[in-house]
Amino acid sequence: MRGKPLILLLAAALVALVGAVVIAIVGDRLAGEHALTAPARSAALIERGAYLARLGDCEACHSIPGKPAFSGGLRMQTPIGAIYTTNITPDEADGIGRLSVADFDRALRYGVANGHSLYPAMPFTSYYNTKPEDVQALYAYFRYGVTPAHVPNRMSEIPFPLSMRWPLTYWRWFFAARPVPFSAPANEDAALAQGAYFVDGLGHCGECHTPRNAFMQLTAITRSGGPRYLRGAVIETYFAPSLRSDGPGSLQDWSEEELTQFLRTGANSRGIVFGSMSDVIIHSTQHMTETDAKATAHYLKSLDAEGTAELPYVYNLGTEQLLRKGDASKEGAFVYLNSCAACHRPDGRGYERVFPALAGNPVVEAQNADSVVSIILRGSQTPRTVQTPAQFTMPGFAWRLSDIQVMQVANFVRSSWGNRGPDVTLGEVTQLRSQAH
Amino acid sequence: MTTPRKLKPVDAVIIGYGWTGAILAKTLTDAGLQVVALERGPARDTSPDFEYPRIADELRYGIRGDLWQPLAAETVTVRHTVNDTAVPYRKYGSFVLGNGVGGAGVHWNGQLWRASPEDFRLRSHIEQRYGKHFIPSEMTIQDYPVSFEELEPHFDHFEKVCGVSGVAGNLRGTVQPHGNPFEGPRSDEFPTPPLPAIYAAQLFEKASAQLGYRSFPVPAANSSVAFTNPYGVRLGPCNLCGYCERFGCFLYSKASPQTTILPILAARPNLEVRTGAYVTRILQDSSKKRATGVIYIDENGQELEQPADLVILSAFQMHNVRLLLLSGIGAPYDPSTGQGLVGKNYAYQMCAVTSAFFAEDVHINPFIGAGAAGLSAIDEFNSDHNDHSKLGFVGGAVIFAGATGGRPIDQMLLPPGTARWGRAWKAAVRKHYRHSAPVTVQGSVMSYRDRYLSLDPTYKDKHGLPLLRITFDWHDNEYRMAAYAASKAEDIVREMRPQSQATLLLKPGNHYDTRIYQSTHTTGGAIIGSNPANSVINRYSQSWELPNLFIYGASAFPQNVGYNPTGILAGLAYFSAEKLKSTYLRSPGPLVS
Amino acid sequence: MPVVGLGALASAGCNGTPQTQARAYVPTYFRAAEWEFLVAAVSRLIPTEGQGPGAIEAGVPEFVDRQMEMPYGHGAYFYLQGPFHPESAATLGYQHRYTPREIYRFGIENANSASTRVHGREFARLEPSSQDEFLASMEKGALNFPNIPAALLFAQLLENTREGYFSDPMYGGNRNMVAWNWIGFPGARADFTDWIDQAGKEYPYGPVSVGGTRS
Repeated sequence: MRGKPLILLLAAALVALVGAVVIAIVGDRLAGEHALTAPARSAALIERGAYLARLGDCEACHSIPGKPAFSGGLRMQTPIGAIYTTNITPDEADGIGRLSVADFDRALRYGVANGHSLYPAMPFTSYYNTKPEDVQALYAYFRYGVTPAHVPNRMSEIPFPLSMRWPLTYWRWFFAARPVPFSAPANEDAALAQGAYFVDGLGHCGECHTPRNAFMQLTAITRSGGPRYLRGAVIETYFAPSLRSDGPGSLQDWSEEELTQFLRTGANSRGIVFGSMSDVIIHSTQHMTETDAKATAHYLKSLDAEGTAELPYVYNLGTEQLLRKGDASKEGAFVYLNSCAACHRPDGRGYERVFPALAGNPVVEAQNADSVVSIILRGSQTPRTVQTPAQFTMPGFAWRLSDIQVMQVANFVRSSWGNRGPDVTLGEVTQLRSQAH
Repeated sequence: MTTPRKLKPVDAVIIGYGWTGAILAKTLTDAGLQVVALERGPARDTSPDFEYPRIADELRYGIRGDLWQPLAAETVTVRHTVNDTAVPYRKYGSFVLGNGVGGAGVHWNGQLWRASPEDFRLRSHIEQRYGKHFIPSEMTIQDYPVSFEELEPHFDHFEKVCGVSGVAGNLRGTVQPHGNPFEGPRSDEFPTPPLPAIYAAQLFEKASAQLGYRSFPVPAANSSVAFTNPYGVRLGPCNLCGYCERFGCFLYSKASPQTTILPILAARPNLEVRTGAYVTRILQDSSKKRATGVIYIDENGQELEQPADLVILSAFQMHNVRLLLLSGIGAPYDPSTGQGLVGKNYAYQMCAVTSAFFAEDVHINPFIGAGAAGLSAIDEFNSDHNDHSKLGFVGGAVIFAGATGGRPIDQMLLPPGTARWGRAWKAAVRKHYRHSAPVTVQGSVMSYRDRYLSLDPTYKDKHGLPLLRITFDWHDNEYRMAAYAASKAEDIVREMRPQSQATLLLKPGNHYDTRIYQSTHTTGGAIIGSNPANSVINRYSQSWELPNLFIYGASAFPQNVGYNPTGILAGLAYFSAEKLKSTYLRSPGPLVS
Repeated sequence: MPVVGLGALASAGCNGTPQTQARAYVPTYFRAAEWEFLVAAVSRLIPTEGQGPGAIEAGVPEFVDRQMEMPYGHGAYFYLQGPFHPESAATLGYQHRYTPREIYRFGIENANSASTRVHGREFARLEPSSQDEFLASMEKGALNFPNIPAALLFAQLLENTREGYFSDPMYGGNRNMVAWNWIGFPGARADFTDWIDQAGKEYPYGPVSVGGTRS
């Protein structure tokens, strides 16, 4: 009777599997707040919802060029295949026109919709803290403020069996935050609370700026989560820098005013936005009220407020003095002179809000140099905002510079003018060049 | 012959999307009009078209002229006198023609002047000062119907839009120490400070001072610092890269429509820009008192009609005149009768250059330069700043020092008598390249009865339409003017103590030579004036013939000046724009009775 | 296409380290006899003798050949509609019907015929001093060519030679930026921020090309 234990084992595994699936399905059905009431259809509430939608940057994923707003269709690559964002206009057939406010809340904060768990590409892992009144405002906007669009959702390209959703339920249970609406600690200053609510929640800054573990879980989701919160993370070929004040490569030398200006225009005297953060500025943070932007800056500056052992950045004249005298002997200096100095200047200071300074720029100083190398290779374009209509483009230099030259000039800018960024290796450059954007 | 397809009417159509096209696009879209801008050339922007380092290519942009109007598609014809047969301007030489979005406003030098108050009432001024007989009878100069004082706020505004760098010479009537003492009173200082003078300009400044002249930084639409203009558009600063005229600026510093105005127009839903749209005719209704729109040929060769209530002709001086002639708007000028106004008073500029050749320990570094920034000038001999009573000519010249760059194919200066090839040439370029500098005289050409524009009877563009014909040669007045100014330039250069110097000067007997670059400051043909008997447009740039047609550009100049024209024509455009906003758009009709 | 020996030509390697390799360019447009003429002519216009690079070191023949394959060579930059009045005053500019390709094709043939008639040999076979004299005669228009005026061919040669000597190396001439080094032109650097306030100081840096190679 040799086979019997094996058959029993397989049967038990099958039962466990079916059980797991059933538990997941039931769990999804049961998820959510059931006490939410439908909001009144008021212009003020819809406007508030529109504003919150900007804060949450729903448009970044749910709107694509050439299609009606919020009708979805953005292709997002995951490790197991591509998925497409959904139509969240109030269209009854293709959109969310039939959703109740509870359904909406469930999707937004629990990550459950249509009876199954959502891929955490939808950042319910950050939106979880949205207060009930704001959920209602968002619902009012998406039900009554957005124009219905008859655009069917596209099927994901994930093959079966990987396309089964029930494992996501377990991911959600283990790795997502408990969907508890935000409430500020007692006696907290209003600006700090407001900033925390946004940054931890709708702003979903951590989705890019907080490192994840092997399970793709954010390693911290609020300031009490410790020094990993918003300390910087790799996003495709870039490194989203630290939003803390924890040493070189962070915002420790930025004032709240500078940070506020950055949120509203994408630029200040210290640097200019690049990569996918440009879109965030354009679609989301440039539309923040002055109060909300200031609160956000205030909150970010409160991280590591107790201080850090790291010294502030100090500009060093040495580099520029050598270049002025005709000394380009430092490795990478000649590449810098030939490709970079025209805009970023031999003194590394750039031109404020036109070409970013490299001297003292946290992106340049960060431990992780992915952004520096990617920008050298592919260039960058500043965002057009209401306050800053001019757009400046840095061309890419992949065609002009060899891997060695890219490495040399990256190391040159990271160690000149007082910058303290460690060297990059040739392998890192080769790797980043080969990764298509 | 198929009828052109008629498009949906719009409120305004703009022909040519360069400087004045952009200025009017902003004005009209500000006022809520539905506007279509038609540009026959391609879309152009700093990125990708002027990107570093690819823009730093002398052969492509400085010699072949990839940013210019392709002559193969359309050119002009030239003859010296009415008795000659005109032949085509087959290769670029004397002037370069713009093309594409931004037009020549992309690849100009950025010298931004206002002209002096007397330049706007030149005939009256000369007659008052020197008597009625001072102006020869064949010289057809006339007054503008608008004064420097009326235009001043608009000069000021455009300078701010461009982030012009310079230092005031006359601030609200008080002469200032470091600027141009001859300039008309300005209401405000320049928006950005001047860049330091390049070495050649420094030598010029010292030498000028020795001779008692007051030099000053050339007003430059190359902003010297990062600057935000009144429209909220930010500009980059100039780094004297040496690739200025003929090139687009990669630093967002040289003012162009792209760097100063177009960013705020980018998202306007009531503006549509169509490139590859070649306007062939402005249409009128049967009464010939109203423009009804334009005919244009699109990129696919389709003929289309764009109806519009308001037509803005901003296609550059040459093409403005050509389109009026092709459209039959106004009577063409006939030099034998003096009748007709379209094409009348074509004028130009005459230039001379004194080159200074220094010893090999004098490091001129000619490659460090810009079209205007870093250059120095004196204005003593321009306009009517000095007493002309014994000189026997009208007009004058600005004298400015420094090369705009050191591009070796086009800007190599060698002493006269240097071999043009061989070992001696090879040695000479090494010896002189880094140690030579030019001092340039840029002088006004007056307007004359026998210098005009018309349609060519023989040659055609790629669509089979007649080319514009230029009938032009120098007059004695200009030879005298240039000789006088050049002698002053020579004095200054002598004082700069070079090892040797040489002057290139046109003399009587030297005909207008289309092979040699003078300037691209061609003017006239649709001149501004006080009544329909002496002009094509009124003081608001409005056509006397068709009140809903406005014409912008140096075609308005009744005669030329020694200065570069852009500041003046922009001032006229803004002056008109203000009237359009306040009066015309509320109640369309003739603005001057 | 037969290749005429041009000697060792320097060419730039990657990362700006110059390498010298013998490299013979194979012309696309110019036929063998034309190529010989071209090489001989440009090497007199900017000779190797004396200090500094000559047209051959700079790769001018390759430049000219490659230009003939570009729109420029086909006359795309010029207005070439008739009628043509080449008898017009010189001050009214170029009035011939010929593209650069045609100027070379017909002109070189004319030149070689004239050389053979006068000296018994084609131009490339003449002694350098005779070549110089011949070129000088062409320049003055003192030679009578049947198809292309001698002065026109000369002007075309001189213009393209200068262009090939001084243009960016990407076009095939100014190899390794030798001509820019010779005169001290920084090429495509186009940045002098540090020199704005150091007027009169000798500029210390060598040139860079658009492609980024350094000498």
